[in-house]
Amino acid sequence: MKIPVFRAGLIATASFLPLSLIALIAFLAVYSWPAIQFNQFQFLWTNDWNLGNLYGNPVTVHGAQIMPGAKYGIWFLVVGTVVSSALAMLMAMPIAIGAAYFLSEGVRKSWAGPLSLFVDLLAAIPSVVYGLWGYALLVPLFGQTIFPFMAKTFSFIPFLKGDPGSGYGLLTSAFVLAVMIIPLISATLRESIRMTEPELKEAGLSLGLNRLEVFWHITLPKLKTVLIGVGILALGRALGETMAVLMVSGNALNYLPNNIYAPISTMAAFIASQLDSALQDPTNMAVEALSEIALVLLLITVVVNFAARLLLWMARVR
Amino acid sequence: MLYRLKKEVSRSVKGAVILSALGLSALYALPASAAPTISLLETGSTLLYPLFNLWVPVYTKMNPGVQITTQGTGSGTGIAEAISGVAQIGASDAYMSDAQIKQHPNILNIPLAISIQMINYNVPGLNNVHLKLSGPVLAGIYSGKITNWNDAAIAKLNPGVKLPNHKIIPVHRTDGSGDTFIFTTYLSDTTPAWSNSVGYSTTVSWPAVPGGIGAEGNPGMVQALKTTPYGIAYIGISWKKPVEEAHLGMAMLENRAGKFVLPTVANAKAAAGEMVNKTPADERISLVYAPGANSYPIINYEYAIVSKTQPNAEVAAAMRKFLNWAIDPKGGNAPHFITAVNFVPLPDSAAKLSRKQIAEIK
Repeated sequence: MKIPVFRAGLIATASFLPLSLIALIAFLAVYSWPAIQFNQFQFLWTNDWNLGNLYGNPVTVHGAQIMPGAKYGIWFLVVGTVVSSALAMLMAMPIAIGAAYFLSEGVRKSWAGPLSLFVDLLAAIPSVVYGLWGYALLVPLFGQTIFPFMAKTFSFIPFLKGDPGSGYGLLTSAFVLAVMIIPLISATLRESIRMTEPELKEAGLSLGLNRLEVFWHITLPKLKTVLIGVGILALGRALGETMAVLMVSGNALNYLPNNIYAPISTMAAFIASQLDSALQDPTNMAVEALSEIALVLLLITVVVNFAARLLLWMARVR
Repeated sequence: MLYRLKKEVSRSVKGAVILSALGLSALYALPASAAPTISLLETGSTLLYPLFNLWVPVYTKMNPGVQITTQGTGSGTGIAEAISGVAQIGASDAYMSDAQIKQHPNILNIPLAISIQMINYNVPGLNNVHLKLSGPVLAGIYSGKITNWNDAAIAKLNPGVKLPNHKIIPVHRTDGSGDTFIFTTYLSDTTPAWSNSVGYSTTVSWPAVPGGIGAEGNPGMVQALKTTPYGIAYIGISWKKPVEEAHLGMAMLENRAGKFVLPTVANAKAAAGEMVNKTPADERISLVYAPGANSYPIINYEYAIVSKTQPNAEVAAAMRKFLNWAIDPKGGNAPHFITAVNFVPLPDSAAKLSRKQIAEIK
């Protein structure tokens, strides 16, 4: 008699998480449905976010009540989100791998413990702290010193040349994101490197490989799936990061960055910064369009996370 | 930007206040004599936020039965939360639109004071000079038609000033903002091309100016301009002190009479004198671009957005009392409050209309 109750309780608690995810997606889809119908596919492909004249009178367009002139297109947000996260991954991966290798094999055991603790602490710092650091320190430093120097030095490379801007922008955002995700990646990798069979490494060393070659030819290939899995989890975090990006991105509206220093905006940061403006729209279409952005972002992160699970599962099976 | 942090902090402070209020009222509930405490929440405009922070400690000391919590969250949030009833007082630099009023006919827009907006810039070498700017030139800058500081249109207004050949970086607000509302009203009033394309609102679709930056709240605008040489921004007068401490430039603006004037209290009073007698009974009116030789062109009423219908008579009475105190020349509109934030006190005729509106809170 007791067992079915226990079982039912387990099923209920276990199904709570997947059900709440489905409920969240369903809610966003239903809530933003008027916006989805009104915007159709050009929502994703146009650079035109315009709440319309909020002091005008609502008009009816294609059966939907909107403010005069309202248009919603988020291509610049999609580009800003994807490019800043990809750039962050590009910067973070080599450093994170190096740090993980150093902590697990390059440093004496008595030092590895405390140093690893530092890395774990870095991974736990709230993102707004990184944002504030970027805002107060990096933006002026990059904008006044480093970006002008880079733009001059790399004046022959597209996207690295041109106007160095003001310090708010794509590269600063990507840099802050990279600093945020490096500890995340290297904390996981460190454990995996440590768990690689010592026999394999010893075999490599006995064949005359040096430590770098052992790492490159033996340890790293063993870690491939873990690396991809944790990388995708970090990417998920970078894609959804809000506050830190909001504080350093420059919040570009309706235009694409013309080089790596130019202002951008991301989906998550845009939702946070535009919500109070959208609340002014008496037709509620603006809020519904924002929740359509949330839906797009949620779908992207769900796909990214499922990919991560799949890869981790494959690593375990093998 | 920082004000978002403040918002978080003030949220938790609010939680703590409510908790301690509950705890205190539980303690005070024992002796039957104690009067019940009424808590009011004020949220919204970052321009009004410094003034509310001066008012509240003084007022609650005189009226221990009332607790008032303040938040600087942006005018958009102020209006929305006053409508939803989350906040009793929504602070806004912008009045509500006709469509919003039609939707929420029981919401009042009550002016508490008059504010001024500065146009500030960060042009190395010229921050001590008050550059002369006009509505059409600002509209040109913010729509990307005027891109360099030594553009002929700017040079024409500033004969004898050596302007740098450097790109202008316009800074605008990203949050729903009364400052954006009054700034774009000035651009719309002075420049038909702006009026026909972008228009005015608490948030507008800013034309794409490559390099242009969005900042959050007045503190965010000051910070962004400070770190952005060759930038230009619109900032509320209650942030004048940080602007001066950062050694940023302050522009003289062209008014309707074609004169260039600074955002001083005297010039704002001149503008208010021209406009206040036009104020309708519901007090929703733009004071921007007033006639008169000395009138500073960007001034506005600072509104308390409140609902006519309150949950009970005690709350309504507490709100009437506080708001009447706020607009009283011997209370909240006393010189030591108003000059501390560089505002202009509410003129008598407007105060009379405000009192009439306050009486409607039931």
